[in-house]
This record gives sequence, structure tokens and C-alpha cells, in this order.
Amino acid sequence: MIRYFLAAWIAHLRKAPSLFLLSVLGVALGVASVVAIQIINRNAIGAFSAGIKAVSGEVDLTVLGQTTTFPEELYSQVLATEGVAAAWPLYQIDVALADRDAFFLQVFGVDLLAPVRLPWNSSPADLSQALFEPGWIAVTPSLAQEMGWSIGDPIDVTSGTRRVQLVIGALVDFKKVSPLASRKLAVMDIAQVQGLLGSSGRIHQIDVQIQEGTHTEELILRLQNRLGPSVQIVTPRQREEQAADLMGAFRLNLTALSWISLFVGLFLIYTSTQASLLRRRLEFGLLRSVGATRAQVFGLILGEVSLLGLLGVILGLPMGYWVAQSNVEMVSATLTNLYLLQEIDSLQLSPSLYALAAGIGLGGAMAGAFFPAIDISRKNSKDLLTAFTLHEKANSLALPVFGMGWLVLTLTALWFWFLGYSWKPAGFVLAVAVLVALPLLTPFLIQQICGRIKTRGFGLGYSLKSLAARLQTTSFAVSSLAIAVSMLLGITLMIGSFRKTVEVWVQTTVQADIYLTTPSWRAEPEATLDAELVSALAAHPGVVSVDRLRRLLVSIDNKRISLVGVDMDLSGGQSRFPLLKGDRMEVLGKVQQGGVLISEPLARKSRLDVGDLLQVYAGAGKLEFPIAGIYYDYTSELGSAAMDLAVMGEIFGPGPIHSLSLYLEEGRDPERVVDEIKARFPDTPLQIRSNQRLREEIFEIFDQTFAVVRILQMMSLLIAVCGIMLTLLVLARERISELALYQALGASRLQIFRLFVGKGLGMGLIALGLGSAGGTVLAAILIFVINRTYFGWTIQVYWPGWPVLQQLATILTAALLASLYPALRASKTPAVELSRDDLQ
Amino acid sequence: MTFSKATLLLSLLFVLPVIASELEWQAAQPEYSWSFPQDHWARSGYRNEWWYFTGHLSSRENPERRFGYQFTFFRIGLRPELPPLESQWATSNLIMGHAAISDLEGKRHIFSETLYREVSFLGGFGSYPESLIAWSRAPAGTAGTWELHWNGEGFDFEMRDQVQGIAFQLSTHPLKPLVFQGPNGYSRKGEDSRAASQYYSFTRLMTQGSLTVDGETFQVEGESWMDKEFGSHQLAENQVGWDWFSLQLEDGREVMFYHLRNRAGATDFARGTVVSETGEVQYLKPEEWTIQSTQTWKSPETGTQYPSRWRITLARENLELEIVPQLAYQENRSRILSDLYYWEGAVTILGAGGEKLGQGYVELTGYGTGNLLPSALN
Repeated sequence: MIRYFLAAWIAHLRKAPSLFLLSVLGVALGVASVVAIQIINRNAIGAFSAGIKAVSGEVDLTVLGQTTTFPEELYSQVLATEGVAAAWPLYQIDVALADRDAFFLQVFGVDLLAPVRLPWNSSPADLSQALFEPGWIAVTPSLAQEMGWSIGDPIDVTSGTRRVQLVIGALVDFKKVSPLASRKLAVMDIAQVQGLLGSSGRIHQIDVQIQEGTHTEELILRLQNRLGPSVQIVTPRQREEQAADLMGAFRLNLTALSWISLFVGLFLIYTSTQASLLRRRLEFGLLRSVGATRAQVFGLILGEVSLLGLLGVILGLPMGYWVAQSNVEMVSATLTNLYLLQEIDSLQLSPSLYALAAGIGLGGAMAGAFFPAIDISRKNSKDLLTAFTLHEKANSLALPVFGMGWLVLTLTALWFWFLGYSWKPAGFVLAVAVLVALPLLTPFLIQQICGRIKTRGFGLGYSLKSLAARLQTTSFAVSSLAIAVSMLLGITLMIGSFRKTVEVWVQTTVQADIYLTTPSWRAEPEATLDAELVSALAAHPGVVSVDRLRRLLVSIDNKRISLVGVDMDLSGGQSRFPLLKGDRMEVLGKVQQGGVLISEPLARKSRLDVGDLLQVYAGAGKLEFPIAGIYYDYTSELGSAAMDLAVMGEIFGPGPIHSLSLYLEEGRDPERVVDEIKARFPDTPLQIRSNQRLREEIFEIFDQTFAVVRILQMMSLLIAVCGIMLTLLVLARERISELALYQALGASRLQIFRLFVGKGLGMGLIALGLGSAGGTVLAAILIFVINRTYFGWTIQVYWPGWPVLQQLATILTAALLASLYPALRASKTPAVELSRDDLQ
Repeated sequence: MTFSKATLLLSLLFVLPVIASELEWQAAQPEYSWSFPQDHWARSGYRNEWWYFTGHLSSRENPERRFGYQFTFFRIGLRPELPPLESQWATSNLIMGHAAISDLEGKRHIFSETLYREVSFLGGFGSYPESLIAWSRAPAGTAGTWELHWNGEGFDFEMRDQVQGIAFQLSTHPLKPLVFQGPNGYSRKGEDSRAASQYYSFTRLMTQGSLTVDGETFQVEGESWMDKEFGSHQLAENQVGWDWFSLQLEDGREVMFYHLRNRAGATDFARGTVVSETGEVQYLKPEEWTIQSTQTWKSPETGTQYPSRWRITLARENLELEIVPQLAYQENRSRILSDLYYWEGAVTILGAGGEKLGQGYVELTGYGTGNLLPSALN
């Protein structure tokens, strides 16, 4: 049987290579999209912990501040706690390279005199230098090579408005202890980091090693009791979970999209298996009549499909890695921009990813082939050796299947309306229901639309009508394209609406003429503006008013959010916080009396409303603020809160400003003032942008954030287009005798070519119709359910007409192009293929 | 290659003569102008300094329950000046604490240690006239601090290590006056006159307080010996370690001598002191005593072979002594600095006929492959 299997497989491969290749490509694309997203997701989490692992090694517990930092004296308290075997303090700061744009070094300040394990082969003189040579820093060999640095070279970095010269003291390959560690990781002695780049008195974390025989849970409790509420004690796993949770919504969305691609891929496998089986009915009939059992036939089919799946995996894995690799920079930028997490510097393929790829490739192929294989293996040899009955069956099933689809939609909608609306993933259930219902609705709709067409000859009408006659094959191709179109359209509508919403929001909130911050803005709270500089800028010629912003990181339910302090009374600054809820004048009054404004994502995620109390942990302990209003904000998915700058000073004590907005007098050219300021403070590290430039940058970040989504969309569409081509090839092969008959009856090659192009176009049109309906529903689910639950953003619905039309035209063109090759094949079918059997 | 930080740190502390000599550390001087009690406190400007207490204690309630103990604070100078950084972690000193109890009945030796930067919440050094001389946080996992105070006449000190299950809190008062080790407290360590330290001792301190082993606390009393030494270049380049003896004889005399060994294992330099019953001091030259090691002991943990029994003759003092460890296993092995280990133990002094003549402490450093010296911070 195995010999037969191999011989038969090779024979079929030779006979129909394009069918086979398309099927493999379908599986490969499906595998690739899931694998790509999984690689990115896992490595994003990996990157988060790798940095810590690189400098701390394997630790048992970590003490973290409720805000970014906590008093360093707590280190002594940690050491004093029973069950602690060792503990290491850590100061962490991102500094910007002065001569590069937005290039950050992640500097870890460690106690180089504590027995920390570093992959550093060095002499005692090096350690002495590390402690006492001002600015000594160890960087990775890969970064040194990239930048052309060698030991002893000075490098200029900025931290806030401070510009500091560091000296490359050593090259330390952190990847040796933590393969995912970023090349931008750097280490200094904790005293140097605090003294030169950061601030004294506070640290970011303490790593703890537990004494043997101590229960982790008990130690956590003891530490928490001793250290008080200003810190949290977490295990490495909990830390990873926190990071994962932080970007959870982002990851979930990508994952869901990648699974949709796979779902579309499964349709492709189904179609191709179905096609292959139909072609080989006779062969299976013969096999059965010479004594092959049903199980053997079933095994034969599944064996072939597994091989197809395997090839799909082999092709899909590198393809997925390539997609991940070419998009990692954009995803990484999103993670750092939106979530302030570590950049993903390198990608690693874990063994479980290989397993996942194999699982979805092989499993998907099997799932796609299972029912057709069962169907064929159940038939007796007589049925197999006689003419098809399959399509007729599909025709008669179209209505009940449609009913099922309708039922799925109705039941899910009812479920959501009455029960599911408060359940977080309910939006995804709705989306899945739409995607499941679409293919169920398709056969009946094709039957109804195409079946009613009156044909008057051998033209487009005939092409369309024949689609209804070949329902089993065509409906799968149409469904898969419809799903891809739904996804494409749904996301296009959502992104388009979102972009437009942000545009309106930016127009309202970005009102100042010039925006000013420091290049190392990421390193809160150290990235501050020098007070003298702030005064000088306020007095700069042409500046009529200055909006100062102070940012503190506070914690709500163990999640860190920004609490910003601004002058709420600033004339002309009312539009900075467009209110979702609350009367402007009333809100302003409450804010000046110590109330806060909270952003929409914070309100939705923490289920807070106007009048509630916002409870935050700050450096000083637990604080409560009455919520005066809720404002629209699209800068942070994690949420933020705002209060009056003066009130902030009273509560948290005076502190430096993090960014500044300048309002210019009428008629001043902001770009010119930007140049003036740059010329006036040539040595001060400043990130300074005009209003226009800031708006552009906001949209650069926006587009970057959705770039990966667009790639997934394209992959899914590619799979669907493969589906159309495959279907038409199947039709060409399946109806080979019919085509021969047409030829025998005098149809020209051009007519047959047109017939097939017509079929492709017809399928494209029906899929577009179905997909547009599905896409609109999906967009609504994305905008009103998923986005609100996971991101907390209100998105106003806009219909991005032109992009949608463009996309629909592209899909139709793709369908048309996909039909050209099969049409060409079909038109070349010689009349001699006509057999006596077919004429019976 | 993963490099152990501990090794690096050790190198910095113990084998960095080149770097250290480039810096402006003060050298020990024969004409040093002593000032007491101020000189009991830390003398910054010198690279290394230590306060070394060893002694024999017994339970007041059950005198058969006897203990040897060691308590030491080291100040390890990294730089003569503080680096100009606005950070508490910026430091010019490390503080290292070593403590051990030899439970002579229980036949156990338990060692504990601390090592921190001089940071306001981790450890540091007091200044005259406050009573605090030095302190450090207790080891990880233990609440509290290790402290050394001047009580007006002698020293009070305490340590605790919850993980090792030991603690003591002791108060000392001198039974005999302070003794300079070497003329004017200038203690030569080699032929090169720069290899020297400022060195004085309290050779007999009445000691009392409490001591805890394995959760059992004893009220104890006994006698101790205290050494205070500071300098910047104690060891000559070819020296690898030393054998140091502090002997308290029952007739009221005390003897101290040390042998600094070269790489070949031979004595490179040696000096000694004899203190009479009334406190008169005589400095010994190497030819005035003989010492012969008669037994060895191999540490099961480090595999290091130490001499473990000695025959000593001091002809001028008419002394023929047999020095016998009260417990073979009295090796201090650092857990923080894995290559640091030395033997520091309570010994009994026997006469030629086997009669007990006194008790003492012996320190043996630089043996084995670790080759690191707890107090040779040169």
C-alpha cells in the first residue's frame, strides 16, 4: 500500500502540479501568518524578561515599586527579611544617544561589587575602572560593532536635558546568558548611573534569591509586610504575565487576525482535497473493487493530505519567520511607543513554535480533508465508478446549511445581547460567529443569485449560472474569498474610522505651536527639562504663553499609568482635554479643587465614572482623588489621568517639568521659532517640533502600529486569491469532458477562455458582495465591542470611501487575474478528452 | 565565558598592589603620632584597617560549655577620596565583617560574614567621640546590624546570623594596658620598609555577654585579645600568607608572633612580641624563637592542608610550648567570596610535660589554591 501510495502521489503530482502547489501555498501562508504572529508575540515577552535576566541571572523574586522607583533604603529591609539568601539592587534608565535620532540605550545600574554574574571576562583593573572612571559603561559587542565603538571611546548620551559623556569600558555579550537580550543593553555601576544619568535615593528594583527551604509564598508575605504598600513583590513568571497583560490587547488582536488567515487557509485545503478526490473517484473505485478496504482508502487520502500539510509547514515556517523578521522593527516600535516596553532586538524560534506550526499545518490539512475523505471512503465501489452525485447533494443541502448559518448568527446575537456583553472576549465570539456563518450562507446565496440567471448563450450569464451548478466546489472558493474580504474590509473600516477619529482629536488637542521635550523622554521620570531652560523658553521672543506638563507614574491595581499635571487654567488650553463626560466649567472648577480627569481607556478598563474616587499608589503611598471628568485620549491604551499642576505640586511636592508647549503670537512662523530655539540652545538635548511636525509624527506612529495588521490582511487575501485560482483549476479539470464537449459542439477556445474568466469574475463579485456585508458587520464589532473592551477607545464611524473602493477593485482584479491561468488551461482542452462515459 | 563576579571582587581587594600604589594612600610611619582613644576609630587615608577580636568564653551556668569566638571588622579602602557622584552608592570603602564561633563541646565551627559598600543604610564607620566605631547590616536573611562600639574602657560588639544560627553580644574591659606591636606601633612586614602597618593590641580583655548557638543562648564570660591594625602596603610582593599566633599564658604573660611566608612556603619575614605579667613589652626577632609544625589537617571542604600542631621554643623566656587546636575544623570559608578561606581557631597551650599553660588563637592564611588573605588587603 505504501508503495502504491508513493507511486500514486508522484503520478498525481506530475499530472496536476499547479493544483498541488496552490494547496501547499495555501497551507504555507496559513502557517506563516500564525507562526509570524506567534514569533513576534513570544519574543516581545521574551525581550521584556531577557534584559533583566542578562544582568540579574535567574532570580526567585523581584521587588518593584508601585510607581517606577522606590526608596533605595528598602534594599536594607529586603536583606533583613528572613528567608532572603541574597539581594541585588537595580537602577534602570533609558538614555538617548546624542548623535542619533531616537536611539536608546537601556542602561542597567548594578552593584558591581555585589556577586552578580556577568558574562564579562575582565581583569581587576577593569572593575576598578568600572567603579571609578567617570562614565564607564559596558556595551554589547554587536552594538559596538554597529556603531564602530571600541574600548576607550567616548560616547555622548542625553538624559533629560543633561548631556553626559560616557566611556566604553568593556564589551559584554549579554546574549551568552540571555539570548534574547537586546544589543542596546548596557551596564554601569549603580553609583555612576544614579550620579551621571539618573537621580539619587531611589532604585527601580531589587532582585531576590530565596534561602533554600523557604516557601516562596511565605517570603512574599513577609517582604510585603516589612516593605509596605509602596512596592510589590513578584515572581519572574508574574512579571512576564504583567508585561504580557500590558500588551495583551495588542497581542490578542494580532493573534486573532493570524488565526483568521489560517481559517481561510483551511478552506483552501478543503477545496483542493475535494478536487483531488473528485478527480480520483474512478481510481478509488477501482482500488475498492480490487479489495482495498474503506480504512485503507481513508488512510491513503489522509496520508496524501498529511504530506501536503507537511510541505506547507516546511514552507510556512521560514515564510513566517521572514514575515516576523521583516516586521519586528515596526512591532517593536509600537511596543516601545505605546507600552514603554523593551524593544525586540532579536528573534528566537522556540521548539514549541515548531510544534505549533506542525500542529496547525498538519492538523489544518487533516481537518480540511477529513469530511471529503470520510465521504469518499464510505462510498462503495459501484458509486465511485459511476457518475457524480455529489453536486446534486450539495444543491439540496444549500438551504438547510443556510438555515444553520442564520441560526448561528441569530443565536450569537441573542447570546451577546442578553448574556455575553459583559464578558471581555464576547466581541471575538461575535466575530467568529460572522466568519462561521458566512460560508454557511454562501451556497444558498450562490444558488439563488446564479440559479435565477437566465442564459441566452455561451456568455457571462452562462458562466454565472454554471457556478450554481458546481456548488460544492464554487461555494468554498467564494466563502474563503468572502471571509478574506470581510476581514480586509472590516479592518480597513475600523482603521479608517480610527484614523479619522484621531485626526479630529489631534485637531482639537494639538493646539500649541511648538512642542518641546527631551530626546530621552522614554526614561520617565528622569527625562526632565532643566528649570532655567523652561524659564528662558517662556521668555523667548514671540512666545505668548507656555503650557508646562509634569508627568508622574502612579499605579492603579498594580498597573502603572501616567498622572500628568498641567495648568488647567491656561487661557486657550481648554481644548487639551476634550471631555467625554462632564460639563466643562463645572469640571474645571472641580479640578482646581483637587479633582482629576481620567482618560476614556482608564475609565472603561477600571470601570470608573465621574464622581467616583480614583485610588492611586504614588511614592507617598495611597492617595484618592475625586474624578471630575473623563476625556478622550488616544495616546495610551493603558490610560492616564490629569490634574492641575499647582495641585500636583501641593500633593507630591515641587518637581521638574517633562514637556512644554509654546503658544506663539499671531503671525509668528513656528518652524522659524523652532530653528531659533535650536540655535539658542545648541548643546541642550531637546526634542522640539512644530505643531505640524507633531501631527505628522502622531500619524507616523499610528500607521506603524497598524502596519502588521495590514500585512496579515494581505496574507489572508493572497490565500483567498489562491483559492479562486485553485477552484477554477479544479473546475477546468473536473469538467474536462464537459469542456471537450463544448469544443466538439463548436465552441471556440476564446469562448471557453471567456467562460472561465467569467466564472472567476462571478465568484469575485459574489464574494465581494458577501464580504462587504460581513466586513461591515465585522467593522461594527471591532469598533463598538472589541476596541471598547480591550483598548477603551471611542471610535467615531467614518466610511473611508476611496480606500474601500480601491481595495474592492483590487480584489476583483485579483480574482480576474487568478482566473486567467485556469481559463487558459481550460481553453486548451482538446476535444479528444471526450469519452464515451461522459456522453452517457 | 561566564566570569564570576566574586573572583573579580577578590582580585580588586587582594591582588591590586599596582592600582593601589598609584593612588595616594598614606603609608605606615615609625614616628606615627598616636592619639587615644581617637585612634580606635577608623583612620581614613590608609588603605586597609581592621579590628580583630578573638577569645575564649564559657557558660556562666555550666563552665564546661566552652566556646572560642572571632569577631572582625575590615575596612577596605577602594579610593582615598569619595568619587564626586551624587549617589549614596558612591563609596570609597567597603566594610567586611567576619565572625565565628567554635563550639568546643559541640565540636562545631560556625562562620558568618557580611560585605557591603560603605552606604548609609548598609554599613560604615563612626567617628570620635560617638561610641560607634563600625557597623554593617547583618547578613542577608537576618534583621539588625553588626556593631562595634567603644565603651570608654574597652569595646562592645555584637553580631547575629539567623541563617547560620549564631549570635553574640559581648562587652570587654582591658585587664592589661594597650600594647604596641613593634616600636611605637610600627609593625614591619618585610625587608622593604614600606611593607608595614600601624599595629596595637589589647592582649587581655575581660569579656562577658551572651552567645547563641543553634537557638540556645548562653550567658558567657572569658578573656579576649584585640588587634587593631591599619596601613596601606602590608605585604611584600613575594609574600603569599602568614601564620599568626596570639597566646595568653596562665602565668600572666602574652606572646604574639607572625611568620609571613613566601611563595616557596618558607618564612620571608617574622616578628614577635612578649608582654610580661605587668605589661612590659619585649619585641622578638626571628632568631629568638623556633617553631616547628608537627601535624597537618586537611579541610574536607576546600581540600586545603593546614599545619595543625606546633612546637615552639622561646629560649629567652624559658618557654617550650606545644600548641594544639581545640578543634581541628576551624576553617572560615566565605560564601560571598567563594575563593576566600582561612583557618582561624582556638588553641590550647601545653607545656613540655603536657600540662596546660594557657590558651590562644592561631590564624593561618594563604594556604591552598584560593590563596586569599582576609586581612592582607594589599
